[in-house]
Amino acid sequence: MASITMRNLVKNYGNVTVIPGLDLEIADEEFIVLVGPSGCGKSTLLRVLAGLEAIDGGDLMIGDRRVNELPAAKRDIAMVFQDYALYPHMTVRQNMAFALEMRGLSAAEIAPRIEEAAKLLDIQPYLDRRPKALSGGQRQRVAMGRAIVRDPQVFLFDEPLSNLDAKLRGQVRAEIKTLSKKLRTTMVFVTHDQIEAMTMADRIVVMKAGIIQQVGTPEEVYENPANLFVASFIGSPSMNFLPVEVQADQLRLVDGSLLPTTLMAGQAAGHKSLTLGIRPEHFEVVGEGQGIAADIRLVEPLGSDTLVHAFAAGQEVIARVSPDLRPVTGQRLWLSPASGKAHLFDPETEVRIDGTGKVN
Amino acid sequence: MKVEHDHRGQMAAMSMPALVFTIGMIAFPFLYTIWMSFQSYSSTGQVTGWGGENYLRMVADGEFWNGIWITFYLYVLSLVMQLVLGTSLALLLFRAKRLPGIVRSLFISPFMMPPVVAGMMWLVILDPSLGAANWILTSLGLPPSAWLASPVLVVPTLALIDTWQWTPYVALIVLGGLQSLPPSVYEAAEIDGASRRAVFWRITLPLLLPTLVTAMVLRSVDLLRFFDLIYITTQGGPSNHSMTLNIYGFRTGFEFFQLGYAGALMVTLSVLVLGAVMAFNRLRNAVEW
Repeated sequence: MASITMRNLVKNYGNVTVIPGLDLEIADEEFIVLVGPSGCGKSTLLRVLAGLEAIDGGDLMIGDRRVNELPAAKRDIAMVFQDYALYPHMTVRQNMAFALEMRGLSAAEIAPRIEEAAKLLDIQPYLDRRPKALSGGQRQRVAMGRAIVRDPQVFLFDEPLSNLDAKLRGQVRAEIKTLSKKLRTTMVFVTHDQIEAMTMADRIVVMKAGIIQQVGTPEEVYENPANLFVASFIGSPSMNFLPVEVQADQLRLVDGSLLPTTLMAGQAAGHKSLTLGIRPEHFEVVGEGQGIAADIRLVEPLGSDTLVHAFAAGQEVIARVSPDLRPVTGQRLWLSPASGKAHLFDPETEVRIDGTGKVN
Repeated sequence: MKVEHDHRGQMAAMSMPALVFTIGMIAFPFLYTIWMSFQSYSSTGQVTGWGGENYLRMVADGEFWNGIWITFYLYVLSLVMQLVLGTSLALLLFRAKRLPGIVRSLFISPFMMPPVVAGMMWLVILDPSLGAANWILTSLGLPPSAWLASPVLVVPTLALIDTWQWTPYVALIVLGGLQSLPPSVYEAAEIDGASRRAVFWRITLPLLLPTLVTAMVLRSVDLLRFFDLIYITTQGGPSNHSMTLNIYGFRTGFEFFQLGYAGALMVTLSVLVLGAVMAFNRLRNAVEW
């Protein structure tokens, strides 16, 4: 129940600058997901927020309090760790009670809060067990329970789903999202998994090398990626990138095939060489001789749709096609980007070019 | 992997040396001692009887009970000091993170030292008239102490020497335990608002218990059999005030040549050590997390 403001936040480890000045506003009750590859500074940023790492410059505000020098315990935040960090020698109940005891609450005040949180998370049957006797999913819930009982202003999650198997991950993902709606607390969630980011976030913060690449709703980030990095990071399989030359109102690909610029979401006029970005799901199979010739090298049927790995325009591309097409290896398909779905990027600056032809 | 039947003989043959060694070097002497403890010998070494006489004599022997008492007194005193100091030292070293090589060498030197050398060194230091210990006491205006020659102080002094020698060993074990504790648990405690005191008593100490029990087992086995240092410094004196069961058994067997009775004393000591180890193993299961 508090907003978070970061102004020109700096974090160094010795001589290495991990976060070179970062600005971000997180609204009250917002679910923010920090996403990026390993080493992009997202976990460091979370630890800075938590108070586990000192701040080397700038301001960090929680609500209207500047908390730069405030110790972790006084920031009124709760954190769910990647390995859950449960106290292994304590029962679930003791784990959940610990923070409250440290605040000097009486047993009579603690008990109902534990019951309530346990009920919310469906962990009542395990309250007297130790973490060792719980499954990964149960431990994960206990870790959340420990955070919930404290009724904090901000929840921090450090890749809490990465130790769960795929099926459980999907389930817990949905649970956390439901929970966030119930609790109405500001949540900051760190992950390297773009699917988690897309499914859970109100807004996604894409990071690379300590620098924010884009902040936006999942739809914005997916539909209008700010640059090549965001475009390649969000979406699975990744966006295909093809070098093109602008020739009047057409784009000429490496293999000589031509695509009309009217198909593009961006304005090609005024540029010479560009990078064309097409998501696998935005390829359309068109009639022979139109679009780009693609020789199928590998077919991955997913049931609902089929991924086709093909050699097209001098390189490997991936297209998501209907399974009814029944593509086979060795077959030649003709592919064209769906109208308005292909993006153009400046190959020098890697920035996306929008409909006005501006580099945004 | 499937083991073929004709390989079994080969495997048995290959494990024979180890088996022979175990039986010959460990089981035989132990069983022989038990057998001996049921024999009575004349002063010339002739067997004069067979039965539980030695054990009956032991129960009525005041020196045996004195030996039990001294053994336990020395054991508890040394163990407590070594655990408390060893754990404190380990916590200090853990905070220091990186230890210079020279410090580490100095640190392990006491328990690398042969007991005879350590004993001789402390005899010199604690010598009532020429030793450094009393020189320090008198320089500070304190009365000199008889140390090992004092019936009251002999056991605490021996415990101090053993503590000097073995505390670093305990500290290294505890340090290993500390280093294996999950760091994120400490971060969770930091966020939960635990004070340093609360972190130590409610998190570090309970998490260290399995390591501490391991250290206790290792030290208990040595301490209950406390021998070399006493043999070099006091030989059980003054007037039996440091006569542990082990020293008493040794002197009974090798100075008074009562081999049957000495055997009974040693078997009793072995049972005590075994009992302690078993008790600690149970304790370890109880504190395992």
